[in-house]
Amino acid sequence: MALSNANNGATNVAARLQKELMDIMTNPTPGITAFPSSENLTIWTATIEGPSGTPYEALVFKLSFEFPATYPYSPPNVLFKTPIYHPNVDFSGRICLDILKDKWSAVYNIGTVLLSLQSLLGEPNNSSPLNGEAAELWDNDMLEYKRKVAARHKTPEELDAA
Amino acid sequence: MSSPEPIPPPNDRRGSRASSNADISVQDGNGVMVGGPPGSPSPLQIRASNSLNSKNRRRPIAKQPPDVHLLEYCHTPDSNLVCLICHSPFDKPVKLLCDHYFCRQCLEHAWAAQQDGEKTCPTCRSKVDVDKDLRPVPRIIETMLDELVVKCPNSKSGCDWSDQRANVHDHVMLYCVYTLVQCPSYDCRLHISQKDFHKGCLHYTVSCENCHTSMMMKDLEGHQRTDCPGRSTNCPHCSAEVLRLDFQAHVKEACPKVVIPCSGAVLSCTFTAERAEVASHQETCVVAKLAPHFQEQQARIERSEARLEPLSRRVGILEDGLSNITSMLYPANSEPSLPLSEPLDPTSLEAFPPAHLTAASDFRLSPNPFPSVPQNDVPQTTQPPFDSQIHHLLTMHDSLREEVSRITNALGELDGRTNMMIINESQRQKDEMLHTNAAINSMRMQLHWLMSATLSNRNAAGSSTARASASTAAASGSANSATRGASASAGLGNRATASATLHAPLRRLSDSTRQDTKL
Repeated sequence: MALSNANNGATNVAARLQKELMDIMTNPTPGITAFPSSENLTIWTATIEGPSGTPYEALVFKLSFEFPATYPYSPPNVLFKTPIYHPNVDFSGRICLDILKDKWSAVYNIGTVLLSLQSLLGEPNNSSPLNGEAAELWDNDMLEYKRKVAARHKTPEELDAA
Repeated sequence: MSSPEPIPPPNDRRGSRASSNADISVQDGNGVMVGGPPGSPSPLQIRASNSLNSKNRRRPIAKQPPDVHLLEYCHTPDSNLVCLICHSPFDKPVKLLCDHYFCRQCLEHAWAAQQDGEKTCPTCRSKVDVDKDLRPVPRIIETMLDELVVKCPNSKSGCDWSDQRANVHDHVMLYCVYTLVQCPSYDCRLHISQKDFHKGCLHYTVSCENCHTSMMMKDLEGHQRTDCPGRSTNCPHCSAEVLRLDFQAHVKEACPKVVIPCSGAVLSCTFTAERAEVASHQETCVVAKLAPHFQEQQARIERSEARLEPLSRRVGILEDGLSNITSMLYPANSEPSLPLSEPLDPTSLEAFPPAHLTAASDFRLSPNPFPSVPQNDVPQTTQPPFDSQIHHLLTMHDSLREEVSRITNALGELDGRTNMMIINESQRQKDEMLHTNAAINSMRMQLHWLMSATLSNRNAAGSSTARASASTAAASGSANSATRGASASAGLGNRATASATLHAPLRRLSDSTRQDTKL
């Protein structure tokens, strides 16, 4: 009904994103940041820290969020901006995660998506990998996996320089 | 910002309805006259002019009701009252079987993406039957939501109203002067604050005379009040800094140094000084104290005179109509000063119009709605004293209409009386019929008794003496019945005698015919 009303939809998206921003600013979650770009409220940049006890420990990953006009009824488009070696992320940063596709629900928000991605780092879904080699190494050769992760990773400063 | 009374938009239908009521009540006030004044519009015309399609009618004012999802709350709402989908306090919440709450609209949007029959709860993914599993939320939740304090959605335009959420709809739709309405100009598709509606279309570009910035006319005032760099000036009289916008009002009403006359000037007080001095003068000036009363009286006199003028015109019209009716009713009458009587009831008395009889005829006739007209006011002309022929015709038409309605009433009354008479008459007929029926019935009973007595007698007498005894019994039966005064049964008895002389089977036949006759 109101989905057809593009103008109304846009104001609703903006209103909801403002509230999410307020939420994140007032109740920050450790290891997670998110902030909209200066000119467009529907494009956000976020960072997550690799969870401890995983090959990604102490690494920081940058992500980009792009919210459609139908948000929160359709999922945001999320990409890893930092190169990451992971079974469910391809080399251009695209993520294979069900809640960002068909299992999306309107009650998810930026915080919950970032938390899900954080846990995905420690528990990859190896049954449907985008990166087959990574899935195999995760199961069989953790040392080599860690080496590959470290080799591929870039700090945010390096990213900005590039 | 809440005013005690709703601000009706300039073309609100309520306003026009009120005025039409006033018109109709005026009509009712004249109801004792024949029809109404000839020149006044009929109730039908009034209704037509107030209808939607009238050319006076403007397009309706469409206001956008406030979107509850976009309201700004004065305090951070309880997180338990916040919808997980829109992240604002619930709007028309519903409850799912799994005890999760959502705004109805949010839930509908979330389900729009899902296939029918596969709708799930957005929180727990449990399956939901859309037709059955939507439940109303507890009353207390709705009350808590209604009590949340919100700001007016027009707060950015300057409205500083804030109150419970339950009232925001009424505030925006009825009271808030900042609510956007359609521009009053027909060829303008833009919107404008309700407070500026009466100023006409303000959607044209102007240039601020102080800073030469271009803007729309509707934004000019706000610009000159808050934004314009050259918005302030110094009053030449009191050297206080005032907004250019308010300068005129300042000089006229507030500036203490402006030279003004005493307020008693209308009553010839000649004192003139600076405002501050005048104020102290007016404390003692008798004339200044009287001035408000004087002005009030003056205004009242003017109002009365304004009211008097249409009234006198109406009286003129009515007098004309009256004299016309008089001349119409008594065209051959040489003395038009006779009081009017009912047009349908001209009595022989009027044919002889000596003046001393007028009082008697007046008394005898039904109450006369017309005041008697002095003789010198009725011109003796064949031409009716009307502005136009149409007025004359209208008056005639109205009097005829009155007569017709009187005839209709009389007819109805007559009809009712006739009906009553017929009913009474038929009632009497029915009663008589009942009596007759009862009499016939009693006779039939007697006859039956006689017949059975005859039959038993004949059976007892045996076959040899059957004929003789039957004839005797029948004869005695007929005699019996005759003595009881029923002449009809005597004939029947004779027939029974005749049939008794025939064979037995034949008697049965006659018996049945007799039954038919009785019935």
